[in-house]
Amino acid sequence: MQLLTAILLSALRTAGLVVSITVLVFFLVRVIPGDVVDLLSAEGGLDAAMQEEMRQELGLQQSRPAQLGNWAANAVHGDFGDSLRFHKPVGGMVCQALPTTIILSSLSFAYGLFLGCAVAVLAVLWPKSFFPKAVETLNAWSVAMPTFCAGLLGILVVVLWLEWMPMLGNMFLAVVVLGTDVAGQIAKPLYEDLKETATSKFIMTAKAKGLGKTRVILFHLLPNSLSVILALSGIILGGLVGGTITLEVLFGLPGIGKLALDGVLGRDYPLVQAVILLLAVAVVCINWFTDIIAKLIDPRLRSH
Amino acid sequence: MQSTLLATINAFGGRLFRRPPSGSARRARLPGGLTVTAGIILAASCLVALAGSLLMPYDPMEQMLLDTNQGISAAHWLGTDNLGRDVLSRLIFGTRISLLAGTGGLLFALILGGGLGLLASALGGVFEYLAYGFIDLLRTMPGILLALTLVVSLGSGFLSVTFALGLVFAPVFARIARAVYQREMSSEYFTYSLINGASRLWILRRHVLPNVLGAFVTQAGIILPRCIVTESVLSFLGVGMSPETPTWGRMIAVSSRYLEQNPVSVIAPVLALSLLTLSIAVLSNNLRRNTDVLRRNAAEA
Repeated sequence: MQLLTAILLSALRTAGLVVSITVLVFFLVRVIPGDVVDLLSAEGGLDAAMQEEMRQELGLQQSRPAQLGNWAANAVHGDFGDSLRFHKPVGGMVCQALPTTIILSSLSFAYGLFLGCAVAVLAVLWPKSFFPKAVETLNAWSVAMPTFCAGLLGILVVVLWLEWMPMLGNMFLAVVVLGTDVAGQIAKPLYEDLKETATSKFIMTAKAKGLGKTRVILFHLLPNSLSVILALSGIILGGLVGGTITLEVLFGLPGIGKLALDGVLGRDYPLVQAVILLLAVAVVCINWFTDIIAKLIDPRLRSH
Repeated sequence: MQSTLLATINAFGGRLFRRPPSGSARRARLPGGLTVTAGIILAASCLVALAGSLLMPYDPMEQMLLDTNQGISAAHWLGTDNLGRDVLSRLIFGTRISLLAGTGGLLFALILGGGLGLLASALGGVFEYLAYGFIDLLRTMPGILLALTLVVSLGSGFLSVTFALGLVFAPVFARIARAVYQREMSSEYFTYSLINGASRLWILRRHVLPNVLGAFVTQAGIILPRCIVTESVLSFLGVGMSPETPTWGRMIAVSSRYLEQNPVSVIAPVLALSLLTLSIAVLSNNLRRNTDVLRRNAAEA
């Protein structure tokens, strides 16, 4: 019961957050100097009358609160408006771009999670091997090598020098680059937590019972660190939601990040609003799910 | 004379120069090779940023259209880019931008996030609710997208990039402020101060602030590299500083189109960026380990 109330309360708060973000973004994109008509006329040379007509048609001459009202009323019905530049429904454009981003981020996350956990566990299992060093190296790599730099180095070596694969639309390389970054973010904190837990008494008990080292680590140590893995996953997934943008630009993948960048640069208000709303909802849901799962697997958290 | 000098040194660098207590396993910890290297790189970067125009062999904006995309040579140590601009000079200019924008963003995040967080926790009530609502709002927007939209709305340039970085990283400090405040609030001296009639703001300044500063400094060491990287990402996406400013991100973006003909002009800023961020991370990691007294004592025991 208590758990249920907590979940409902956080759902309410979450909904409030999403609504505030939508409103904030709505006004933020409209503060951008110059609207789409200005940009188009700078490119194509529209005269004053045509500009006026275009603004009328796009509803840009209305007051901002009125525009917000219209937009919100339509958005509730699932209609996010037409792109000001491409004259296509924004919803369709987002749906087209969504699979690319989902595949990219989920594959990189899965690969990174697996690599990070594996290296951290092996480092605890064999402290004298090269695995503890590998944890440090992975961590240093993800701190010091931004994904767009790593992506460029990858292109240089794999595409241009070794000529193994093409550059454009190269999902494989993007996943490797992004996933290695994720692994670095997971491996170090997990390793530290595992090492710290390894000194606690229930581990000593397990060892004293005569259980094997592998068994102790996999079935006693690792479950205790599940909440750390979960918390890290939440943060990393939230970061991935926006973090795919540079790789999408670099590898020419037609995903959400690319769409958002084009929208912001082209003053395409409906496009930006839809994308940011979507991403904010994604982040909020990720946080919400990790919260709930954390409470489910760790009874100590439920009272808070 | 000499003893005064030694006493002064001891006061500042105490742990380095004090003799270990006899019979104990404790020893003065000398900085390792990695730390020294990181320190040298960071110091050199700061020096290069400060003395920038003295060290630049060419004007970083000057185009020499007859010598475009040249490799390494005696005249141009790191070659030239697609418009014949000297890569080394641009790299030096970019060092200044990276360090300035990074520290500027960090300071802004610290003041906004930390200050707002502490004040809100001390004042409580509606103010706390609103302030942390705002912080949550910032935290929920994907960082890069928030920065991107902000910079485009405010117009590109140094100030708007710094402002955007500050807003993106402010939540980190706000959460630390809240955690430390709540920890201190449950301590006994806090209660006694309240009973003595001290106002919450006075307790904040007198008792909580000294406690939170350490945590802020530690976190700042983690956030600074991220600020520097985020600035480069913004410039790489073409929305950072004004387009003609030579920043590392901009250099990487422009030269990446000529990656095959001229890899040096991409590799040079990439290396500079990762060396700078790595050295800051190594130093801050070291600082954290050495100042965390509880853990250090546990490790040495």
